[in-house]
Amino acid sequence: MRTLVRPVGIAAAALALVAFLPMLLDEYTINILVRSCLFAVMALTVDVLWGYSGFLTFGQSAFFGAGAYAAALCFTTFGYSPGIALLSLGCAVGAAALIALVQGWLSFYHGATPLYASVVSLVVPVVATQLLFSGGTFTGSSSGLTGYDVMDLSSEEWFYLAGAFLVLTTLCGWLFVCSDAGRVLTALRDNEARCSYLGLNVPMLRIALLVATAAVAAIAGWLYAGSSGVVAPELTGFVLGTEAVIWVALGGRGTLIGPVIGAVVIDVTSAYLSGSLPFLWKLIVGVAFILVIVALPQGLIPAIGVRLRRLLPAAPAATIPVLVAAPTLPRAASDGIAVDLVEVARNFGSLAVLQGITFQARPGELVSLIGPNGAGKTTLMRCLSDGTERSGGTIRLRGHDIRRLPPHRCVAYGLGRKFQTALVFDTLTVAECLRIACTRRERPSFWRRSTMLALPEAALGILRATGIDQLLDREARLLSHGQKQSLELAMVMALDPSVVLLDEPTAGLTRPERMRIGTILTDLVANNGLCLLLVEHDLDFVREISSRVVVLHQGRLVLDGTVGDVVASDLVRAIYSGELHG
Amino acid sequence: MKIVNFAHGAFLTLGAYAGLVAGQLGLAPWFGLPLAFLAGGACGALVERLVVRPLYARPLDAILATWGLGIIIGQLLALGFGREVQFVAAPLRGTVDVLGMPYSAYRLFLVLAALVVGGGFALLLGGTRLGLATRAVIMNEDLARGLGIDAGWVRFATYSLGSGLAGLAGALITPLSSVDPDMGVPWLLNAFMLVMVSGASLASLLAASVLLGGAQVVISGWANPVLGSLSIVVLAALLLRVRPGGLAR
Repeated sequence: MRTLVRPVGIAAAALALVAFLPMLLDEYTINILVRSCLFAVMALTVDVLWGYSGFLTFGQSAFFGAGAYAAALCFTTFGYSPGIALLSLGCAVGAAALIALVQGWLSFYHGATPLYASVVSLVVPVVATQLLFSGGTFTGSSSGLTGYDVMDLSSEEWFYLAGAFLVLTTLCGWLFVCSDAGRVLTALRDNEARCSYLGLNVPMLRIALLVATAAVAAIAGWLYAGSSGVVAPELTGFVLGTEAVIWVALGGRGTLIGPVIGAVVIDVTSAYLSGSLPFLWKLIVGVAFILVIVALPQGLIPAIGVRLRRLLPAAPAATIPVLVAAPTLPRAASDGIAVDLVEVARNFGSLAVLQGITFQARPGELVSLIGPNGAGKTTLMRCLSDGTERSGGTIRLRGHDIRRLPPHRCVAYGLGRKFQTALVFDTLTVAECLRIACTRRERPSFWRRSTMLALPEAALGILRATGIDQLLDREARLLSHGQKQSLELAMVMALDPSVVLLDEPTAGLTRPERMRIGTILTDLVANNGLCLLLVEHDLDFVREISSRVVVLHQGRLVLDGTVGDVVASDLVRAIYSGELHG
Repeated sequence: MKIVNFAHGAFLTLGAYAGLVAGQLGLAPWFGLPLAFLAGGACGALVERLVVRPLYARPLDAILATWGLGIIIGQLLALGFGREVQFVAAPLRGTVDVLGMPYSAYRLFLVLAALVVGGGFALLLGGTRLGLATRAVIMNEDLARGLGIDAGWVRFATYSLGSGLAGLAGALITPLSSVDPDMGVPWLLNAFMLVMVSGASLASLLAASVLLGGAQVVISGWANPVLGSLSIVVLAALLLRVRPGGLAR
């Protein structure tokens, strides 16, 4: 509960400020502040999307504008009544959510790049503005809509409404980004691939986040239409969307409070200077923006002083969760074959990297894949964990055909994959990384941090064996290479998988660490019925722990047998000594 | 070069104004073209040095900075020339008969110019030392550096050249439409989507441009010009969603 004190205290102070300001300021300033507060809400949504989840968007104005136009159109067409007001609010949120769904569907899919998503976010407001321009008298075309009846509120009352809305959304945003669920956003920003291999449906999460922020922006737009009594196509335009990004960048991305301050200060100043120096002011803001991007990427507010930082939502290390053992889930019985490959092939153009790979592995087997560099081992791992990768053949995981399914669906079938170079979430702590790995099993809280972290025995064993259970509050990027490897392995085991793909899991570890992990792995295979596929170059290690060895050479499976078979094989010796080619 | 230059629209606008200035100074309209190329190129060179260079490692920030820059250039142009739409006379008048149909001579010239510039660019990339070095830097910058290629210079040269070409394009297009400070944005979006659809190949870029540009003309003609102006981006986005590899695959 201690973590709640600070944000709620700051919110209460801000609400008091909202209550007192109208006594100090003239009506003109209050009117401007209403607008600034609503723009600040939009900046807040941009910060959640860009600062936290890493999606740079120029398109939040489209949702703000959609909300504003929904209100204006409803009031213009049906006149004002409280019922119509509710209806228009519903329309505002609904329209924005619908646009966000389409935008999300176009932007986020398995394999889409963040750059592309940014461009689509620029296309959306451009399309929205063009549609409004061509709407004729219905949308008011270029002059917009005005003169509709709205709730009869004074400037002060609108200010109370807008200010309270801003404070409440900021508070909710604060609680959300600091909660366990909010840390998933940072995980998405740091490493999307790792997220999907931890079983998270990345496109769906991103679309859901976009829809939620769109709804918030639309409510702000709806209030804007009510308070100003006029809407114009510029509200949906990319210029406003870009201004929101500028406020966030100047205020400090990923700080929530910074963007709010940035939006209010810049918008109020613009309102006062637009009469005297319209172009010059925009020029100054633009130049400041570029300077901040190039020289001060974290923004002005965090840079001004350490003192101010205490007002920002952060300090994740304050609570170190207690590690506990998760109850072992009953494992669904399978038909006895964990991995089943039939004629799997992978081509890059005319180059066949894998062809005709057929083998099976059962629960309780530890199969090592060996072969010289370029034999196709890592490619095979990729085909096993991502249905879109292979060019031909069939792969079944515990009886489920993986068809063309993306990685998170393969994970749902009981797969876990550790990459050759450790993929962890750089800016999250060790404990947070592990919690992300548990997201699939237990739904994280949206407003608080759990004080316990329940992990399966296997993951705990790895943490203890390598000593990183003592480093739970350390940021993952500060770990050594070997520690990152162990952390990633523990994250994979936290999925409680049935089939585990390990790509050189012990590279960079010391001999004792490697032996300890070897023991943990063989225990898991023997006692928990895990099926483990291992790519490894250290043949001594392979000999000690494998129950079977599969040899790949130039994309083909050349040998499948026991350790003894492989050691005795002249063929394998010939491959490794380089005598055999083609 | 894997740097997404959102200031490109602004360079195009800059080129358009360079053409306008050449016209106002009473120079021959043809003179506007090299002037636009130089203006775009010089501005691009300056921007590369000051803004883009520190951001090569941060692609999302590079987008932001160049986009902010584009807006600044737009503001400056608005400050210098006013917000209103202006017109430029075409250096070529009259029509030429193509397959028995009268066709604007200037438009025909544009088609030729586009082919010449595109062909020249392909030759440059495929046949010269700079082209080879560029392709090397694109594929593996560290390795290229290790082999003694001055990657910074290559980036500088390509960025400036690209900006210059954007300026040239701006001067070439303006006689068909009009000049205003925000004219670059739709061109930027269209160009970007076309590049996304076509992948890193000049040949498929040509194909995509002809295909989607054709679609734009058809939709503008049959439905209305507003829908037409949106057709390239919308069609390209849908195409990419259905076929993430674009046309190249």
